[in-house]
Amino acid sequence: MGKKRKHSETEAAAPAKKDDSAPERPKRTLLGWKDKNEDAEESKAKAASASGFRNKEKVLVTCSRRISFRYRHLMLNMVSLLPHCKKDSKVEAKSSKGATLNELVELKGSSSCLFFECRKHKDLYMWMVKSPSGPSVKFLVNAVHTMEELKLTGNHLKGSRPLLTFSSNFDKDVHWKLLKEMLTQVFGIPKEHRKSKPYHDHVFAFSIVDDHIWFRNYQISVPHNEADKVARGGLDKMTLVEVGPRFCLNPIKIFGGSFGGPTLYENPFYVSPNQVLGFSLATFC
Amino acid sequence: MSFEDDFVEDDEMNMIDEDVASDSEADSLSDSDSENAITEKLAEPTKTAVYNRDGLLDKLQDISWPEDADWTHKLTVEIEQGQAVDVNDDLAREMAFYTQALEGTRQAFEKLQEMGLPFLRPADYYAEMVKSDTHMEKVKSKLLYEKKQMEESEERRKARDNKKMAKEVQSQKMKERAKQKKDEIESVKKWRKQRQQSGFSEKGAGELDLEFGNGKSFQRGGGKKRPGVSPGDRSGGKGKPTSRMNNKKREFRDSKFGHGGRKGLSKQNTAETTNDFKGGFRGGKAGGNKRQKR
Repeated sequence: MGKKRKHSETEAAAPAKKDDSAPERPKRTLLGWKDKNEDAEESKAKAASASGFRNKEKVLVTCSRRISFRYRHLMLNMVSLLPHCKKDSKVEAKSSKGATLNELVELKGSSSCLFFECRKHKDLYMWMVKSPSGPSVKFLVNAVHTMEELKLTGNHLKGSRPLLTFSSNFDKDVHWKLLKEMLTQVFGIPKEHRKSKPYHDHVFAFSIVDDHIWFRNYQISVPHNEADKVARGGLDKMTLVEVGPRFCLNPIKIFGGSFGGPTLYENPFYVSPNQVLGFSLATFC
Repeated sequence: MSFEDDFVEDDEMNMIDEDVASDSEADSLSDSDSENAITEKLAEPTKTAVYNRDGLLDKLQDISWPEDADWTHKLTVEIEQGQAVDVNDDLAREMAFYTQALEGTRQAFEKLQEMGLPFLRPADYYAEMVKSDTHMEKVKSKLLYEKKQMEESEERRKARDNKKMAKEVQSQKMKERAKQKKDEIESVKKWRKQRQQSGFSEKGAGELDLEFGNGKSFQRGGGKKRPGVSPGDRSGGKGKPTSRMNNKKREFRDSKFGHGGRKGLSKQNTAETTNDFKGGFRGGKAGGNKRQKR
């Protein structure tokens, strides 16, 4: 079977040999007659979006075995917040994790990965990795509150695109800039994703306080009548209700490759939980 | 302290590797000042920390999206942080995050409004939400319960205060009355003495310049007015309030035991109970009180 020619290609050829002897007949398509002008506009629009940028981000979300309930719920919360993600089954802990995870990411055809690793049933480490050759970051996660807590009362559409707000100190240093770019790409839902919903009714807040990245998710409630205009003075009556989850990330290391590679950045202030335990025990004895 | 180009070739992520590295940092622990809770960190940065600025910039260029991508793809807003927030002050921290998100939303909405894109959800748009309806029911009942608790405690406090006030006022009045009585008796005695001294001369009522105050003290019952009694009130306005308050208890007991009592159909799978999911917050104290009274 010959290769199917796109309509746009034939369109491009036709106007070239246009002669103004007779008014053009409307083009015939399967669904009826298509007006020439309309078609021209459509092809222009298509061309514009094709030359533009398409966000084809896909995130793989997995965890290690022996993860505790609270962190598992956090992972499930992330899955519900990001419709462009795919959840995979637990990964064995013993084997060399780097190779297995890289393979998994390629197999699923994702462009990034969020891997939750729980150690000693207490500490949660989160890996944020861009595939195939992208940088990877390892975080220590603290202060976890999941969406199931009754104190977090907000709610929003599942799959609606969030507005992302970053505090200004993300631009102060190179490693923060890199982290900001990675967070934007992972947490921002692609524009015309098939599972995404229209309307923006929630906002993520990433702030750096005390060298930690704090994450908050708020529902936006503003009195309005139309979908594309806020009532006059409505912006002042806007309130935010927290939806959750909330957590705090402490960056440990940034690697040049995915799940490994040369160390590009090491947090000089980071103390591993094991050390803290050791130190506190030492002060007792 | 060199944060220079320091290509430490790390292997894949072996935990053993990290523990070895952390052992080498063990001597820096003696300088360290590990505070409690979330902000555990070293007071002095470790000397061996890697900071490869060029490598980081390279990677940033690699993964960045093209410059001409529309803002609607990224939807990011940067907000100035006011002043440094203390991590341990929960309220201030949360306020800072809240204001950051609020400011960001404002700016983003202004941009979206300019672009003419719909961004507010219409009231009739129903779709799957990120928290299920049953969950939101639980949240709502918990909020209502909390509100009820607060209101009840407010009422109790008010009632207590009122009682105190009333008691004070009452004691004040009693004192006043006692004083008045004493005064009157004193004045009568004085008048008697006066008369005795002046030898019981018939001076007439005009001499009686006794201070009996105003005419009020001559009223019967000491000036207490009886409020108008409603015609339907068979107790004549003197009914005790408690007889009205025990009505609910009486009603309940009547419905349970009166006229031969209820038949045993107390637990049933009915239309109302099918949708009652387990874990509905029914307000803890409601059942407990009755148990205690027995």
